[in-house]
Amino acid sequence: MAKWGMVIDLDKCTGCQACTIACKSENNVPFGSPEEQERRIDLFWHKVIAVSNGEYPGVNVELIPMPCMQCDHPSCVPVCPAKATYQREDGIVMQNFRRCIGCKYCIVACPYGARSFNYQEQEDREYLRPDLPRDFGLDTKSYIGPWPFPHRTHGVVEKCTFCFHRIDQGLKRIEAGEDIKIGVDVVPACVEACPSGARVFGDLDDPTSNVSQLLASRDFIRLRPEFGTEPKVFYLPQ
Amino acid sequence: MREKRSEGFTVSRRTFLGLSAGAAAAATAAYVIKWPHFDLGGAAEATEGVITEEWVPTSCLNCPTRCAVKVRVVNGKAVRIIGSTESDYSGGKTCPRSHVGLQVLYNPERFTRGPLIRKAGSAKGGVVDLERDFESPPAHLLWPEAISQVAARLKKTAPEKVLIIEGLNSTSNSDLICQFARTCSIVNLFPEDALETGADRLGKKMADGRLNSGYDLENSNYILAFGASILESERPLARNLRMWGKIRRERPNQAKVVVIDPRYSVTAAKADEWIPVNPGAEGALAMAMAHVIVDEGLYDADFIENWTSGFDQYRALLLSDFSPEALADMTGVDTSVVRRLAREFAASKPAIAWSGIGATRWPHGGQASHAIFCLNALVGSIDAPGGVLYQESPPYQDMPPATGAEPGISFREAANLVLNGGVDVIIGVNSNLIMAVPQKADWDEALKREDLYYVHIGPAVNEMVAYADVVLPSATYLEEWAYETALPGSGYAEARIKQPVVGPLHSSRQVGWILFDLVKEIHGETPASFDITSGDAQTFAEEFVKYRTEPLIDWGEFKKKGVWVGQAYEYAKDNPAKYNEIFQTGSGKFEFRSDDLPDVLTVQFSGDASRYPLKLVTYSPVLDVKDGNQNYPWAQEIFLVMHGYGWDILVEINAETARDLGISDRDMVWVESEVGRIKARARVFEGMVPGVVAMAVGQGHYACGKWADDIGVNPNEIIALDYDSLSGQAAFHATRVKVYKA
Repeated sequence: MAKWGMVIDLDKCTGCQACTIACKSENNVPFGSPEEQERRIDLFWHKVIAVSNGEYPGVNVELIPMPCMQCDHPSCVPVCPAKATYQREDGIVMQNFRRCIGCKYCIVACPYGARSFNYQEQEDREYLRPDLPRDFGLDTKSYIGPWPFPHRTHGVVEKCTFCFHRIDQGLKRIEAGEDIKIGVDVVPACVEACPSGARVFGDLDDPTSNVSQLLASRDFIRLRPEFGTEPKVFYLPQ
Repeated sequence: MREKRSEGFTVSRRTFLGLSAGAAAAATAAYVIKWPHFDLGGAAEATEGVITEEWVPTSCLNCPTRCAVKVRVVNGKAVRIIGSTESDYSGGKTCPRSHVGLQVLYNPERFTRGPLIRKAGSAKGGVVDLERDFESPPAHLLWPEAISQVAARLKKTAPEKVLIIEGLNSTSNSDLICQFARTCSIVNLFPEDALETGADRLGKKMADGRLNSGYDLENSNYILAFGASILESERPLARNLRMWGKIRRERPNQAKVVVIDPRYSVTAAKADEWIPVNPGAEGALAMAMAHVIVDEGLYDADFIENWTSGFDQYRALLLSDFSPEALADMTGVDTSVVRRLAREFAASKPAIAWSGIGATRWPHGGQASHAIFCLNALVGSIDAPGGVLYQESPPYQDMPPATGAEPGISFREAANLVLNGGVDVIIGVNSNLIMAVPQKADWDEALKREDLYYVHIGPAVNEMVAYADVVLPSATYLEEWAYETALPGSGYAEARIKQPVVGPLHSSRQVGWILFDLVKEIHGETPASFDITSGDAQTFAEEFVKYRTEPLIDWGEFKKKGVWVGQAYEYAKDNPAKYNEIFQTGSGKFEFRSDDLPDVLTVQFSGDASRYPLKLVTYSPVLDVKDGNQNYPWAQEIFLVMHGYGWDILVEINAETARDLGISDRDMVWVESEVGRIKARARVFEGMVPGVVAMAVGQGHYACGKWADDIGVNPNEIIALDYDSLSGQAAFHATRVKVYKA
């Protein structure tokens, strides 16, 4: 079983936020409003944060793209009373909107602020996605995921899924005999959109994958290692 | 507790929590997830999932870079935009603006009722209320009536009393607008683009006689970015972003980037070094560096000897007045830093000195641009790999000759015409000029004039509609036929197609169609200059694109691939004979224009220094969509990445300066110049030169719709009207302000 991970090269990253918008567009994540921003309840599955240090003229602002860290030991999973958030075998931490009771324990537990609560009634339908299929021919009985995205659920917690639908669809294509590789031909929307090529996605267990090779060749950091969450998103510092 | 909604089944949270596990599972199972229905504008009835799907190759137009994209269209609705891998210009990638295209296309503030004609007596200016201010002719008359009204007005107006303002348009629409102007003998054509690039283009043209120079970022080893936020606002943006990845980590030697800017921009944050410089001193700093290079003999003697003219005079000028020591007070940069950077620049070939928007929008911006551009010549970076290159153009089929003179005027000329009542008719194509000009109040007064007839051609409501006598709703770029020419950057030529991915929606018409109808109505028949198609107005734009691109590529293939790419670029450095063709100057060489250069020492500001102690610089963040509209929530909510803030702008002030003024972070403050004052939230920021205030442009709308209106302010409102002495471009950065708590 593959273990999906992401490497973000902060030296190549340009802080352009194409990742953030591509994520919204791909996953039909509702956009916010000034009021929601003020109350910090706008939804993002991915966001670029700015961390500033130092004083003029020695100022330094780090722009850090923040997807879900897809932790190996996710702190959000054990706290969920409804078993709505769970880890797949390939390591992706998922959120089942149908089970979620909106208690937000997971939001509190996540050290990375990667989770958002959907306060929105979602009455604005202008930009919804009619195309996201109900499933990709997956066995819906055994398979409990957040599909379908276009029908957003008010009052549940949402999060980044590493675009699991793309991965699963890719795996099906591979099964059907297509010569493609996850991490090369099939990547999450944010990786696809990144103009500078700062984001790389692939199998951490495969020593020949792009991610493994980058991690072998460069120093890397993971955010908040002291929490022992073992994130699978790695940053290559500037 | 809010209730969870579902089809025919309601359960509150508390009840849900109280259920036993088994019951909870049952409740979950009882959830009916119903597929939502969408209004597809009469297209295929949406039932469930994907019925039709296609990827349409076209190109973006949310900024002048015009990247090739592919749009996923599902059940007749555009749902996703990604970069096209057929184009290697930006490595098949796009910048964040391209994704926003969906919200441009489905902007709820688009004109939906066809052409609009102003009601007699309704006042111009201010907030736009389509119901209140405009009447719609009966449906079947809509377009013919509007077109004939505009044509009649144009016919009875002398051509010199007509002004065309061009916002961000596709290359082919730009060509058509030019052809239209020529055919109607209209010389007054002002491209809004010149507000950003006028001075810079002229400064470089003085040296090489060309308007198509670009920077070969991909192969460069050292980049001195003078007021250039390469990753935010410098074009070609998507290519810059892609090449940034390349020069930082995709080759053995990492390029060094030094950003010289009063503001710690995103580029500065990502660069190796940030050199804070006093605003307006970028040109002088370039001269100081040139002084070091010349003084220490670090220049490319071979290039200087063979391909430049005026070097001796330039050398004498540099050595007399421009030592780093003499300029230290003016630039605020330590002399040892200047010397080090100059030596690094000369030693790390190929190197680029990039003159950006921040360095050139000054009363002597043209001269500053020239001063910076000369650095490239000093180190032999002209038409060299990793230096300056000269973009090739696709060999389009010529347009039929038109009789009129070549149109095009500078911003100064346009301002004089409008502000002094020199025009009777203005046609704006995708224009939102009022938001882009300095000293907005004067323009507002001038445009409100009763007897001024303004024709607005554009897809959605914006601030210019407040002045419109007639609105002709045009299609957005995703509903249009057009070709696009790649901006300078790659060297090799590239053409891209625009083809309708949907629509045109809302009975809007393509600009080509509108212009064809207009020109035909004015002349009574199709004039020879437009007589290249079957004569059917509705298909004119498509046929025009086909006609122009015929020498490039088979039409079917162009529609399928979306991109045509020219031959690999040949640098003159590799084939010096090419230098003979490159320089289109009087001497046929690269010219150092020493007469103009001393002007970089004079930095003029509007406003008295004792009353207005601070200097205001503006900048365009990456999510300032360049079509003059901002009613795009995806762009709005992450507008200022450096501050993790959206839906607003901030008054960015140096921490020490803010302390002196008694201003704390997030205070509401007034920013006042001699022209006016605006109120916004303060951001105390270490990344600013003391005494300087920075504000982003792009906000302050009041007529664009619910996601843009009453959000932030427009700093252009308080910028005093002044011009670059050479090009007549607006000097946006030369305004003094004071800041105080609101």
